[in-house]
Amino acid sequence: MHHMMLDHFAAGESPVHRLDPVAKTLAMLAMILATVLLGDRFVAFLPLAAAMAVYHAIGRVPLGYTLKRLAMASPFALGVAIFFPILEPGRAVWTHPVGPWTLMVTEEGLLRAANLLAKFVLCVWATLLLLSTTRFQDVVQALARLHVPRLFTVQLAFLYRYLWVLIDEVMHLRRAREARDGGAGAWAPRFRSQAGLVGVLFLRTYDRAERIYWAMAARGFDGSLHTSTQGRLRAKDWAFMLGTIAGAAGVVAADRLTHG
Amino acid sequence: MAETILELADVRYRYPTGVEALRGVTFSVAAGERVGLVGPNGAGKSTLLLALAGFVAAEGHIRVAGHTMSRATARDVRRHLGLVFQNPDDQLFMPHVGEDVAFGPLTMGLSADEVHARVHEALAAVSLEGFEGRIPYHLSDGEKRRAALATVLAMRPQILALDEPAANLDPRGRRRLIELVRRLPNTLLLVGHDLDMILDVCERTIILEAGRVATDGPSREILTDRALLESHGLELPLGVAARG
Repeated sequence: MHHMMLDHFAAGESPVHRLDPVAKTLAMLAMILATVLLGDRFVAFLPLAAAMAVYHAIGRVPLGYTLKRLAMASPFALGVAIFFPILEPGRAVWTHPVGPWTLMVTEEGLLRAANLLAKFVLCVWATLLLLSTTRFQDVVQALARLHVPRLFTVQLAFLYRYLWVLIDEVMHLRRAREARDGGAGAWAPRFRSQAGLVGVLFLRTYDRAERIYWAMAARGFDGSLHTSTQGRLRAKDWAFMLGTIAGAAGVVAADRLTHG
Repeated sequence: MAETILELADVRYRYPTGVEALRGVTFSVAAGERVGLVGPNGAGKSTLLLALAGFVAAEGHIRVAGHTMSRATARDVRRHLGLVFQNPDDQLFMPHVGEDVAFGPLTMGLSADEVHARVHEALAAVSLEGFEGRIPYHLSDGEKRRAALATVLAMRPQILALDEPAANLDPRGRRRLIELVRRLPNTLLLVGHDLDMILDVCERTIILEAGRVATDGPSREILTDRALLESHGLELPLGVAARG
C-alpha cells in the first residue's frame, strides 16, 4: 500500500485550501503562462516567486515536501539544461580539449541553463501548490467546469483511482519473479521475463477495465459521470483569481516594456 | 407464499471460446428469501451472476422483479438487482468513497438531497459513517468490502447478489460482514465457497454443478449432508464438521 499520493496535503485546512478549485486552477495557469513569457532577466522572476512563497506559507505546505517533489521532477529539466552551456555559442568561460574537438562552456549557455531551471522551478512549484492545497478530484471537477472535454477529465479521475492499484500489481508480479530468480540471473532470461510481465500486466489491466465497466453498468452507468457538487465562485475566489492573473500579467508587461 | 422476484428458466450460455458455462439453469426465488449459490470452481456461479445482470447474453428466460431480461431491459433489471463483485477494487472506481456510493443514486437521477441522504444511510448500514472523504485505495479489505456493499445498498435494490462477499477477510472482519448481511431486509443471492457463511445467512441453498442446478433445498439439510456435498466436490461447513 502506498501512502505517497499526488495530493498528499490537499486535505489540510487553510485560506488557500478553502478557495474555489476553479479560481486556483486558473491562477496556476496564469502563473505558469507568465513564467514562460518572461525574458532572461532573473529579477523578473522574483515577484512571481514571492507571490508563490506567500501562497505556500498561507497554505501551510511543508517546504521539504515541495523540494522533494521538485527534485523528483528535475531530471527532465536537468536533462535539457545540461546541454545549453556547451551548445550555446558565446563567450567561453571554460574550455577542455576532447580529442580533435574542444569542449567549450559559454557564459550565455550557463545563463540560458539557469533561466530554464528557474522557469522549471516556478512552473512545477505552481503546480505543486495547486495539488497540495486542492484535492485531486476537485481539480478534475474544476477542469470539467472549465469545459475541458469530458473524455480527458474522466480519464484523469480514473488514472488517479487506479494508478496505485496498477503499481501494486506490477510490484506483486515482480516480487513473484524475484521469489524464484532471487533478483539475479542471466540477462537474457530476465529480459524475456520482463516482456512476459508486461504482457500479463496488460491482460490483467484489460480484464480489470472490463470488470470495472460491469461494476459501473450494474449501477446504471450510461456514459456520463454525474457529480453532485457544482461550485460557484465567491467574492474572495474572484479576488484571488483576478488578483493573481493581474499580478502575473503586470510582471510580464513590466518585463517586456523595460526590456528596451 | 411470497411473490416470485427472481425467475430463471433454462438459462444457457456458451463463452465465445466454446466453454459451455450454463447448460439450462432453472430456479426461482421468492421475495425476501435468502439463497446460497454454491458449487465447485467452474460450475458457472459467476457467469450466472453476469447473466442475471445482462452482461453476458444468455439464452433462456430471466425475470427480475417483474422485468424480463433482454438487451433493451437490461438497464431496468440492473436497477433492481444490486450486484456486488468479488473484487472490491473493481467495485469502488470513484476517487472517494462518498462519490462512489453516490454514483448509483446519481445515475438514477435522484435529487442532490436525496442522494446525500442515501449515501449517509448506506454508509451507516455498513458501519462506515464518516467515510465519505476516504480514498478506497487506503481502506482495509474489510472496509473495502463493506464500502462496496454500500455502493449497491444506496440504490435500494430489491435483490442483492453478492459474489464471495467475505473472501480474504480475517475472522473478525468476516463475522462483522456476516452479521451485517443477516440484518439486510433484501432478497439475497449469496454466491461463494464460504459454506459456513451461507449456512449462517441463507435458509436455502442451491448447488450448481457443470452449469446446471444439481440440488436445491433447505440449507440445514443440504449443508449438513456430507455425502451429498462431497459428491459435488464440496465439504461440510467447518461449523457442522466440528459439531460431529
